[in-house]
Amino acid sequence: MSAPRIAQFKLVLLGESAVGKSSLLLRFARGVYEDNRESTIGAAFLAQNVRLEPDLVVRFEIWDTAGQERYKALAPMYYRNANAALVVFDLLSQESLARAQSWVRELRVQADDGIIIALVGNKLDLLNQLKAESPNSSGKIGISEDAKSYAAEAGLLYYECSAKTGENIEAVFKGVAEKMPINEYFSSQEEEQQHAVDLGASSSGCAC
Amino acid sequence: MPSKYHDMVELDSNEYIFGEEGGRGTPASVFFKKIANMSQKSSKKSKPKPEPSESQQITVGAGRSHAEHISAISDAQNVKKKGKKKQTSSERKQEHKSSSGHAHHLANMAEHNDSSPYFDLDDDWDTNFESTIIPKANARSISSSNTALSKPEPSEIAAKAERDELNSLVSRILKFQTALSAPTVDIDQLRNLSWSGVPPDLRPRTWMHLLGYLPSTAERREKTLAKKRLEYFNSIEQEFGNEGSMNQSMWHQIAIDVPRTNPHIKLYSFESTRRSLERILYLWSVRHPASGYVQGINDLLTPFFQTFLTQYVGTKKVEDLDPQQLTKEELDFVEADSYWCLSKLLDGIQDNYIHAQPGIHRQVQKLEKLMTKVNSELIAHFKSENVEFMQFSFRWMNCLLMREVPMTCAIRIWDTYLSEGPQKFSDFHVYVCAAFLQNWAKDLVNMEFQDLIIFLQSPPTQDWTEKDIELILSQAFMYQSVFKDSMKQ
Ligand SMILES: Nc1nc2c(ncn2[C@@H]2O[C@H](COP(=O)(O)OP(=O)(O)OP(=O)(O)O)[C@@H](O)[C@H]2O)c(=O)[nH]1
Ligand SMILES: [Mg+2]
Repeated sequence: MSAPRIAQFKLVLLGESAVGKSSLLLRFARGVYEDNRESTIGAAFLAQNVRLEPDLVVRFEIWDTAGQERYKALAPMYYRNANAALVVFDLLSQESLARAQSWVRELRVQADDGIIIALVGNKLDLLNQLKAESPNSSGKIGISEDAKSYAAEAGLLYYECSAKTGENIEAVFKGVAEKMPINEYFSSQEEEQQHAVDLGASSSGCAC
Repeated sequence: MPSKYHDMVELDSNEYIFGEEGGRGTPASVFFKKIANMSQKSSKKSKPKPEPSESQQITVGAGRSHAEHISAISDAQNVKKKGKKKQTSSERKQEHKSSSGHAHHLANMAEHNDSSPYFDLDDDWDTNFESTIIPKANARSISSSNTALSKPEPSEIAAKAERDELNSLVSRILKFQTALSAPTVDIDQLRNLSWSGVPPDLRPRTWMHLLGYLPSTAERREKTLAKKRLEYFNSIEQEFGNEGSMNQSMWHQIAIDVPRTNPHIKLYSFESTRRSLERILYLWSVRHPASGYVQGINDLLTPFFQTFLTQYVGTKKVEDLDPQQLTKEELDFVEADSYWCLSKLLDGIQDNYIHAQPGIHRQVQKLEKLMTKVNSELIAHFKSENVEFMQFSFRWMNCLLMREVPMTCAIRIWDTYLSEGPQKFSDFHVYVCAAFLQNWAKDLVNMEFQDLIIFLQSPPTQDWTEKDIELILSQAFMYQSVFKDSMKQ
């Protein structure tokens, strides 16, 4: 069997502090969850593969940014040139959704035009737990509905997941991987290689 | 920590050669040659310890358990039997500086009044001591400096070095003890001593002096401490008394960060620890509105908290301690003292945490500039791989390397930083970061972007001891000596 083709893309995680960006990544990359991990300072880097087809792998270079407002000025360094952004919020926090929306607006203005943005509601386990505890409550629990309709309006991918239980985590990354411009990636690579060959030929100084 | 990663790194046998641009424009000093020699060594373990400079002797800090052991036997009587120890230049300097201090004189008497040969006090602890506290490399370099002075038989060199080292440890503890018990503590002397490490038992008081929290005159101490502690508790009452008036977003950030503070150390999982940290961080933050709470300040609080706890529980047990075991008064004191010392520390680095964090950006730029002098090959490699200093060294600055090394090493770094003084240590920190980076240079030049970043954000320091960090500190000191002038331009 031949080695799978690998297409590489840049992905950035944005969102308020403690919504679970790092936890989500840890679950995705290593399949584990820890209740208390250190907060992210500046940004953290990770590379992780998603297999889309038996012979096709999308490799994400991932920057997990720090959520505190004070670090906001660093974010452009990480989302510039990004092919995809996961904008994460906490399904039980209205404020974190507002913050996510402001990230989306910033990305629309500052990031690459083709960037794929997914709005990701985390801590689904907590939302489900609350719903289970008050099955008859007529009042709205969580902010799912608001988030969903905002995502539809703004043309974003939308996911709800839990880093804690692992529910839906794969789907997030797979969904985003499928939206990556894979064909463009390979054709631009070919072009580059061709270019390199041409250069090599001309500089070898053959007698033509 | 992704240790699996390290296995993937292919170690290369090419020896790193010292950057050509290094030190250009500075007078060709002795240091420069030494650094060049050091960086050509291929293995960290085999690096010779830099020789003590005129202005600052870099000796082995007292290892935690040994220091405890030694302090038990370190009365002057016993020390006498240890035989004569050579005076180093820095000791001479210190002696000179504190010629008025009779406490210091006592310590020297213990050290110099007897020229009888070395005599083992207690075999069982001494062997243990030799095998663990004096690394061979270290012993060698000490002996070589002694050779120049006294030219002993080569076969005796190693043994003598170990004796000297042991004696110097015992006398160091004595010196700290006498310095701290003087009616007026000579802060300069304490700084000189502390740069090379503070004995764990004496660390709480020493740090408080170095930060200017404890008054140097003995008679004012009790009163000042009582006043400061009371002031802290009044402030807490004031800020927490009325929940409605609290700064909710600041409190929220602190409340979510405290449980994420040092999660690998048990001490920080206890509720009483968490409540104390919350109160300290919140009070500091509302009292410093220009910066407010910034993530990372929680890390900087913990060496104080943990070190001050050792006053009541000893240094060994502290990391597993539930502070609930202390009396309320003891814990209150730890909390108040930690607050004030954190404030003093942060006073010198406020720029790191105000809007846009200009202090950190400046330091990151300085580190990059310094590294072009230290190792231009590495810098060229970073450039070709599109690695930016901001990507890995932001956290080094923001948390003073606390996320990069084990707690014992972080605490040892602080001995040196606090002795540099709150206004000056952040300058020195850049040199420490350079030494830290250079420490891995040989591996780094063979890595590509992804591996580089992953390595740099979790360098394999899990098993580091104070020894390892002392090598970094002494190398940093030499970088500073060599490059200080050219860094100003
Ligand atoms: N119940 C539940 N809790 C979660 C989940 N994900 C994260 N958490 C909790 O939220 C806390 C913060 O998670 P992190 O992953 O550190 O958050 P972050 O977004 O990376 O935060 P910053 O690094 O500060 O920006 C964790 O300590 C967990 O306790 C989840 O899926 N379910
Ligand atoms: Mg994080």
